[in-house]
Amino acid sequence: MDPSENDYHFSFFKPTTESARHNRNMVVQLVSIWAVAIFGFQIILKIIEKPVPEPALTLFESSWIAIEAGTPSAIDYQGAGQSVLSVLGKIAIKADDKLLLENALSTFAWQLSDQNDEFKSTVSAFEEIAASITDISDETYVAKKNELIPVLAGLFGLNELDVRSKIAPLEVKSSLMESFEDSGMDRMVETMGLYLTHNRSVLTDTKFLGFPFHYFYTAVFLLILFIGLCWLYCIRTDMFNKKYGIED
Amino acid sequence: MKKILLPAALLAFPRLLHAATAATSLEGGFKVGPAIILITILILFVLVGIIFRAKDTTDFYAAGRGISKVGSGMAIASNWMSAASFLGMAALMYGSGYHGLAYVVGWTGGYVLLLILMAGQIRKYGKYTAADFIGDRYYSSTLRAVGAIIAILISISYCVGQFGGIGLMFKWVLGIEYSWAVIIGGTVVLTYTLISGMLGVTKNMQIQYVIIIISFLIPLFILTAKFDYFWLLPQIGYGSVVSDAISGLPINETKALVNSLGHDYAIVPVPEYAMPWDPATGKSFFQWIAIAFSLMIGTAGLPHVIQRFYVVPKARDARWSVVWGLFFISILYWSAPAYAAFGKILSAHPEVGALAKDAIVVYTAQLGNIHPLIVGLLAAGGVSAAFSTVSGLLVAGSSAFAHDLYFKVINPKASPQKQLLYARLATILMAIIVTLIALKNFALIGQLVAVAFSLAGCTIFPLFLLGIWWSGSNKAGAIAGLITGGSVSLIAITYFIAGKSGLTLPAHDFISYWLEAWYFAWFGAPLAIIVHIIVSKMTKETPIEIRKFLVEQVHS
Repeated sequence: MDPSENDYHFSFFKPTTESARHNRNMVVQLVSIWAVAIFGFQIILKIIEKPVPEPALTLFESSWIAIEAGTPSAIDYQGAGQSVLSVLGKIAIKADDKLLLENALSTFAWQLSDQNDEFKSTVSAFEEIAASITDISDETYVAKKNELIPVLAGLFGLNELDVRSKIAPLEVKSSLMESFEDSGMDRMVETMGLYLTHNRSVLTDTKFLGFPFHYFYTAVFLLILFIGLCWLYCIRTDMFNKKYGIED
Repeated sequence: MKKILLPAALLAFPRLLHAATAATSLEGGFKVGPAIILITILILFVLVGIIFRAKDTTDFYAAGRGISKVGSGMAIASNWMSAASFLGMAALMYGSGYHGLAYVVGWTGGYVLLLILMAGQIRKYGKYTAADFIGDRYYSSTLRAVGAIIAILISISYCVGQFGGIGLMFKWVLGIEYSWAVIIGGTVVLTYTLISGMLGVTKNMQIQYVIIIISFLIPLFILTAKFDYFWLLPQIGYGSVVSDAISGLPINETKALVNSLGHDYAIVPVPEYAMPWDPATGKSFFQWIAIAFSLMIGTAGLPHVIQRFYVVPKARDARWSVVWGLFFISILYWSAPAYAAFGKILSAHPEVGALAKDAIVVYTAQLGNIHPLIVGLLAAGGVSAAFSTVSGLLVAGSSAFAHDLYFKVINPKASPQKQLLYARLATILMAIIVTLIALKNFALIGQLVAVAFSLAGCTIFPLFLLGIWWSGSNKAGAIAGLITGGSVSLIAITYFIAGKSGLTLPAHDFISYWLEAWYFAWFGAPLAIIVHIIVSKMTKETPIEIRKFLVEQVHS
């Protein structure tokens, strides 16, 4: 083979010149920082996390024992109802889970009203108005809703500053009050656990500049770091190029 | 308790399914103010495009290589900040919380790789397009043609999400059906791209960047001030919004803080919004990592991004333009999560109803009771973001067709005028294809765009990475790697489309989870690199002219 055929071999890991060696070392350093900062942090977050229930789940579990056993008190229905409203207020709920929880909530309301037909009629009347309007600022609709809010807040033991009191009229359904299938009962604990248990750790519970620390780190700090790494690379490359007389 | 079937109960009481919500009133009809702002901005873009219209093919492809590094940084940012950044990112966080931050990290962290591993070297290599590089480096016109086809596919895939974003904003402004909005918006962006050409687009991009970022930031300053957060730096001030969402916000006793519908600025605790890979979101740790990784390597393999580095005069400028570009991009990326956080609280009341996630940025501004003209400016900014990216993508795709396929492979004697004609015909064809796919509304904008990243990560990225940094990388290795990466891409995209079409393929759940359309590059890219290396080692080495060029020109 012609000796020249063996020339001009180039590899990132086997640099042939001093400047290439410097560049390789710099790239390895920066990529290492980059990788550890991104993936290392998420791995730590994963390792130290623990599933932590919201207070609403703890309340639900203590109330649900009596409801499931068929010996609930009004306090149990209220506790379970408050917890279910905590989930229904979360927006992002699967359609079948929402239906299940609305069924449970409506049943609790029915029981708390002592199966009062007048209460059911009030809810039903509100539903009819809600179905007939196209604008939620409709005066009749708003008036009926405002009538129902204190009724349901009273039933579920919610004060007027509790946002759940405003949600309740939209989640209690007259058609779902008098029945709750066993399969639904079976799904309640699992469904409530799904929405009310979260992966938390010291990194998620520590506050930094108003943020949960992990959120600040990922959403704000990492971007600063990326710009910093890029800036550092450019500065050092300019220095190397000057030192080794490399022209662009 | 008695047993009944719930669906039967629902059928018996259809009103349950028709409860009034405010979603339609937020959507509204034709909006005069926002429409005037949008039309004014579009006319401004077209006028600037006409003034700087491309005169020959060099201008059309690479804008005369006359852009400064700060200007190029703005062009990079404008080119990059698409509907996915402007609209899609907040949508992902609004819907999936911390999971959405994988997209923020992926779409910014990739620039570190791009700079360290590619930018300067690509400029030194001195080609016009990604396919040019592939064809030259791997001494194969076949690979050049394949590279061009992949570049076209990536451009189409990337454009689909953009057209979706344009459609949503046109729908909001004009108060028309989504389908018509996509068709009208697509026609306008196509006209604009054809008229201005690459030179106009590049000059224009700096103006577009300024409009995009101003339109995005103004409502955010107002929102943070209005709801009593640290408004001087809303990118930090919204941290307390996130914390409020986690702990829950009771009804304000003074009733001073309400949304535009009169609902209290209050929410039950929603820790799932910010806690990592929360069970309620249905997203896992693996998916977070896979998305971030795929987007990062995809960033370093996107033809229209790589192509940006050909337009700066020197390699040093190419490097520094990345720093500036990333800084300009980050201004938007630091801000987007704030819209999602405000949107979460402002839309918390069930009466607001289900909002289109991809328009949550605009809905949040509306719910925050911001002046309609400022909301209109925001929507126009969203359209501008999509426009600037689409025009770059259509040019990248059409130049891949006219320059890399037609001129370099099919008809090397074609005149510059004929090339330009074919580039424009390709632009029209691509726009039609993209419109037809966008009408299907397959997924969120951010997710649709992520498909293009994974495709680029599996195919283009390995070719550039090994082509630049290893002289041992040869034609046979490139072909083998490309087949591998392409096969993984094909499988992932086939399963995705089948799933959307209601079909169930073998091992559907398994493939759909591990190779989901928006992150299959986590597997495909490393596999393609390994195969590329093994086959290169086993076959005839790279010709000395290529090795010599690499050592003396690219790495000297």
